[in-house]
Amino acid sequence: MTTTNTPIYDSASPRRPIVHPFVNIWTNRDLIKLLVGRDLTVRYKRSVLGVWWTVLNPLLTTLVYWFVFSAIFQRSAGTEVPFVIYLLSGTLLISVFFSQGSVAGGSSLISGRTILSKIRVPGEVFATTAALAAAVNFLIGTVLLLIIQPILGWPIPWTVVLVPIPTLAMLALVTGFGMLIASAAIHFYDVLDFVRVILQMVIWLVPTFYPIEIIPENLQILVKVNPLYSYLVVFRGFMYEGVFPPTWNLVYMGASAIIVLLLGVWVFSKSWKQAAVRL
Amino acid sequence: MTKSPPSVVATNIGLAYRMARDQAGSMKEFAINMLKRQVVYESLWALDDVSFEIGQGEVFGVVGPNGAGKSTLMKVLAGVLPPTSGRVVVRGLVSPMIELSGGMNPEMTGRENIVMFGVLLGRDPAYMRERVGPISEWAELPEFLDVPMRNYSTGMVARLGFAIATDVKPEILLVDEVLSVGDEAFRRKSNERLEELMEGGTTVVLVSHSLATVRSMADRVMWLDHGRIKMLGESQTVVQAYQDSV
Repeated sequence: MTTTNTPIYDSASPRRPIVHPFVNIWTNRDLIKLLVGRDLTVRYKRSVLGVWWTVLNPLLTTLVYWFVFSAIFQRSAGTEVPFVIYLLSGTLLISVFFSQGSVAGGSSLISGRTILSKIRVPGEVFATTAALAAAVNFLIGTVLLLIIQPILGWPIPWTVVLVPIPTLAMLALVTGFGMLIASAAIHFYDVLDFVRVILQMVIWLVPTFYPIEIIPENLQILVKVNPLYSYLVVFRGFMYEGVFPPTWNLVYMGASAIIVLLLGVWVFSKSWKQAAVRL
Repeated sequence: MTKSPPSVVATNIGLAYRMARDQAGSMKEFAINMLKRQVVYESLWALDDVSFEIGQGEVFGVVGPNGAGKSTLMKVLAGVLPPTSGRVVVRGLVSPMIELSGGMNPEMTGRENIVMFGVLLGRDPAYMRERVGPISEWAELPEFLDVPMRNYSTGMVARLGFAIATDVKPEILLVDEVLSVGDEAFRRKSNERLEELMEGGTTVVLVSHSLATVRSMADRVMWLDHGRIKMLGESQTVVQAYQDSV
């Protein structure tokens, strides 16, 4: 009677802390695809402009900062690149991808609790979905950047084809970071509020909106130790500068991505049994 | 014919909700309590040393007063809650029919929710897209398929949930009080479908406060009280004993 593909759930089957989540993510890829699509569309379902907000959001943010910096402070990037491109690239990578993705990942277990408390779906599916949705938002934004660059008279360098490298690294970082926050948020709800404030600060700790040159030389090290700085350097280098970033930036980016991802997956895995009871 | 393996084997399962007394909901509270050395954990055993087997195709009823651990048991069988102690093995595709509106997104259309919900239950998206027609037909709302579900009535949501969970013979069906939703016509229809499934060899675990339902449908019944098995056996006997005790 029983066919070979009968799913068997055994509560005693050992769970390998690092491998298991990746297996779960792979076996649930169809579900993740649907959930990402839902994440991207549902948010704007009731709005007139719909998914266009995905593009409008970073664009409007950029315009606000552009106005504040160039009109009020009479400041521009200090680089040759038009300031709008500098701002938009920073906004996309740090606010849209890193910050929003991490918050979404951190709250994914709580927002998915109605499903998680009823149907056996691995929690990592929801955390991954949040990071992927942020990645898609980011990529839509880079398409916008590709359109704006020539309009502002800035050429698109061939290195643009390498943009997937910082994108993948950021995806790993956001997935891991989101899982770390989610594991903590299950125990204390206010972790999320706390994280939101921290992330607001982080955006200003790296040159998202201002050029690093405005920081005194002897203090620049404080910016450079932040792994996010390397992500910015690599992304901007590939996206419009058309230059290869220094090796240490590439290494720092790759290493931090892998470490945070593995750490997040491990902690998430370890705390899952407790989390299930608390949801 | 060789005897097919049981659908569910539960061995000494226990499930503890660890509760900090005066549970700290925020980090601040927790830190303060920590400093005062006031974090006292208490374990509340919602299930305690529960062992049973459910054969393939069996209809297994669970009765007991509120707080006996019936819903917790269903969550353990659904694989949502890993047991704190003991072991549970569930063989087959599980369709949990628990207050289904939870898994549905009100902003998405009926069609999108059918696919999403089916995939959540472990089915293939392409296959679910094919099933949209039959499912909506059974739930009697094909004309509402492309309407966001927030415009559905409670009854419509319940009908759709039932239709998805019972579409294609699930191997194990967990039924937790769902039969009480909907109007008379829907109740009759859903009971018919349940009976069809039971005859077709689906294993059913049934939790209900309606003792008449349990008595007439279940082959065997387990009586839970404070997380422990008080009685387990043939449905007439157990339901009668439970009824006498109340």
